[in-house]
Amino acid sequence: MGFDPANPMKDRITDIGPPHYAQYYPQVIKENKGKWLYHEITQPGVLKHVSESGAECYTVRCASARLISTSLIYDMCDIADEHCDGILRFTTRNNVEFMVDSADKVQPLVDACNAHGMLPVGGTGAGVTNIVHTQGWVHCHTPATDASGPVKAVMDELFDYFTSMTLPAQVRIALACCLNMCGAVHCSDIAILGVHRKPPLIDHDTITSVCELPLAIASCPLGAIKPAKGTNSAGEEVKSVTVNNDRCMFCGNCYTMCPSMPLADPEGDGIAILVGGKISNARSMPKFSKMVIPFLPNTPPRWPETVAAVKNILEVYAKDAKKYERVGEWAERIGWEKFFEKCNIPFTDKSVDDYRLAYDTWRTSTQFKFTSHIK
Amino acid sequence: MADREEVKAQILELLTKSKKPALYLKDMQKKVDAKPREIKNAANELVRDQKVMFWSSGSSTMYALPERAKDEDKIGV
Amino acid sequence: MPKHDTPLLDQLESGPWPSFVKDLKRQAEKNPACWDILGQMEVSYEDKITHWKHGGIVGVFGYGGGIVGRYSDMPKRFPGVAHFHTVRVNQPSSKFYNTKVLRQIMDIWERRGSGMTNMHGSTGDLVLLGTFTEELEEIFYELTHDVGVDLGGSGGNLRTPSCCLGQARCEWSCYDTAEACHNITMTYQDELHRPAFPYKFKTKFSGCPNDCVAAIARSDFSVIGTWRDDIRIDQAAVKGYVNGEFPANGGAHAGGDWGPFNIKKEVIDLCPTNCMWMEGDELKIDNAECTRCMHCLNVMPRALRPGLDQGASILIGAKAPILDGAQLSTLIVPFIKMDAENEFEEYKEIIEKCWDWWMEEGKNRERIGESMQRIGLPTFLKIMEIDPIPQHVKEPRSNPYVFWKEEEVEGGFERDLAEFRKRHPM
Repeated sequence: MGFDPANPMKDRITDIGPPHYAQYYPQVIKENKGKWLYHEITQPGVLKHVSESGAECYTVRCASARLISTSLIYDMCDIADEHCDGILRFTTRNNVEFMVDSADKVQPLVDACNAHGMLPVGGTGAGVTNIVHTQGWVHCHTPATDASGPVKAVMDELFDYFTSMTLPAQVRIALACCLNMCGAVHCSDIAILGVHRKPPLIDHDTITSVCELPLAIASCPLGAIKPAKGTNSAGEEVKSVTVNNDRCMFCGNCYTMCPSMPLADPEGDGIAILVGGKISNARSMPKFSKMVIPFLPNTPPRWPETVAAVKNILEVYAKDAKKYERVGEWAERIGWEKFFEKCNIPFTDKSVDDYRLAYDTWRTSTQFKFTSHIK
Repeated sequence: MADREEVKAQILELLTKSKKPALYLKDMQKKVDAKPREIKNAANELVRDQKVMFWSSGSSTMYALPERAKDEDKIGV
Repeated sequence: MPKHDTPLLDQLESGPWPSFVKDLKRQAEKNPACWDILGQMEVSYEDKITHWKHGGIVGVFGYGGGIVGRYSDMPKRFPGVAHFHTVRVNQPSSKFYNTKVLRQIMDIWERRGSGMTNMHGSTGDLVLLGTFTEELEEIFYELTHDVGVDLGGSGGNLRTPSCCLGQARCEWSCYDTAEACHNITMTYQDELHRPAFPYKFKTKFSGCPNDCVAAIARSDFSVIGTWRDDIRIDQAAVKGYVNGEFPANGGAHAGGDWGPFNIKKEVIDLCPTNCMWMEGDELKIDNAECTRCMHCLNVMPRALRPGLDQGASILIGAKAPILDGAQLSTLIVPFIKMDAENEFEEYKEIIEKCWDWWMEEGKNRERIGESMQRIGLPTFLKIMEIDPIPQHVKEPRSNPYVFWKEEEVEGGFERDLAEFRKRHPM
């Protein structure tokens, strides 16, 4: 049996979709779905949900690195088999959750997670939960930085904020390894974003055979790519393109469409920091993250500049913000000029928008604060 | 409006004659006389018939005749 | 035994956060390809640049998505990752699993892949990371036959829908997000597996305006739970919070020194519409003024609950910045019912209307949010047969350049110049 390469269509099953979720619910959830009354965080990483039936569901939340092995998943399964009737779930932020139906089962479960060594308990309430991130150098072909490495380095440093709830509000950190932003970092409290700073190279040897030139030309949002003759390494004239470097915004869309236009570069690439975004509608409306540090170098394996920048912003916020205030709400209350001053981040022209819709971000008011920026 | 077999024939002709070896659905819509949804269904049927293959960059997907595709790794052929 | 020296990556083995390097090394004992993952990554750490190439055209027969192709640019040095394709497995709603199904998938993956995964990818799929072209059909066969799971979406398709935890374990969810996600995923299997659209199309289901699945930022078609009657108040529980019997915000601030709970400071004064006040020890809400931001419910989950007339708001057009800048979804339909009994009929009617238009008018690699920007919100609303209402905008336009249609102007656009000149000689 099994797949028959000589007859690929034999017994082919398609379009069955995902398995039905309800078969994977723990018993207490099967019985109480839609009846939950309230929840409490009983200790960092442990949630208690109470149903109108009086039933309780306790959840132990553990971090994962997102890039995880089958071995680690088998370990998670072992814990779920021993403590949770063989059920577990994952969160959108790459945490794993184990659920039990009574208070006395919580501590043995927490102990099992702690004993494992790779399953730290936390990520609830007013702390830093897991970083949502992308692939980076482990799988992606367009990254400007790694993902798993910087995340590991940042979370090692912020670990105490994962296992505690001491901040004014939850702080969502995200990392995307290029401007495509697969990780959708654009609405995070603190966003770590891989950026390119060198225009694409043009490989005249391969471009004619590998790329659809009209698609490559059309891919540029600023019309910086034009058809042109190029000379390949054999000295022959070939149909190719040329890039107006002055108009390049280093988005990398051309490389996505045409592999013969690589723009990644060890010195050119690095990390930008954006802050103040949020998804939730609570109090203020959802908002985008704003660029406050345009560039930090790629410094593997531990990206000390990025780690220090994130930690600095987080700790200034922790000291200065009011209870419930998200990073963006805090920055807007004190004013962005104060944000830069308090965080001791130099303000540069790179933080002033000059792309489309830029005018919306310019200050058209006499309301401002006299910070050290005004000489 | 053309029926399914006519639409399929038009798509095959387009994929054979087009200067570009791989086409988006959008490219077909400009040349084939049918509603977008009908073109989509016909093109996907051609894939099932093993006359056409997908070419995917991961972020977008095109259609091509197997013999005109550029890469050596072909889907299902 | 390690196949390559990895002095840089080795530095990421220490520290309290789970180490992917430690994990890779452990897996390498079972899947030697992991040594080559480490080896190639170490080169990237030295060179500060990726060593992966564009994907090409790998996939499984008859599907236009679900597999993302990837090749190493150093295949001789790292043969174990010469091909490194990913398989996107459509996750069950809310990412619940039993250990049986997880073990089955992992068994296949240890035999036929690198043994490394993402739990989960950004869109929501269970991602199996790194295998060879010749394994793809085998993996697909075993996943569909032996496990009963299917692939998710990639390319110009409907991408794998995803949802928050919903009513399974949350008191705020205003509809059954898990059932909605499952039902809609099943209805649109063809759109999910075969190219249908000018570009990718994502839909996500959040149960309430806290939007835990980031629908408003990460999906073209965002479904966010809400209600249209009054917040349910348990006045006894309000007193409980005021008296400090219950931890505010579900205990989320337990680690900070914030002093005793102050309902005025922490709830009433932070209400964005100022629609709450105390009368004696009773909390009052002017529900007609409430915009359902969730703050008061978040702070006092025992005392306040969403109303009973529940449904969802539909917002359309979110995307990451490529190319014209990031967009959040725009409110299009303020309220629909999301009922499993009628198979989420209202949702399907709206999304299909969107698709019919976008398949015709959207340009290649143009997200629907960009198509909307290009034609303008008034035109999009007309296409959707929705009357414009103030809820569609944050504020009315400030520029005067209205695109009046001829039929809207008395007498139309045609005028007689000779008549005009009689009265207005040059």
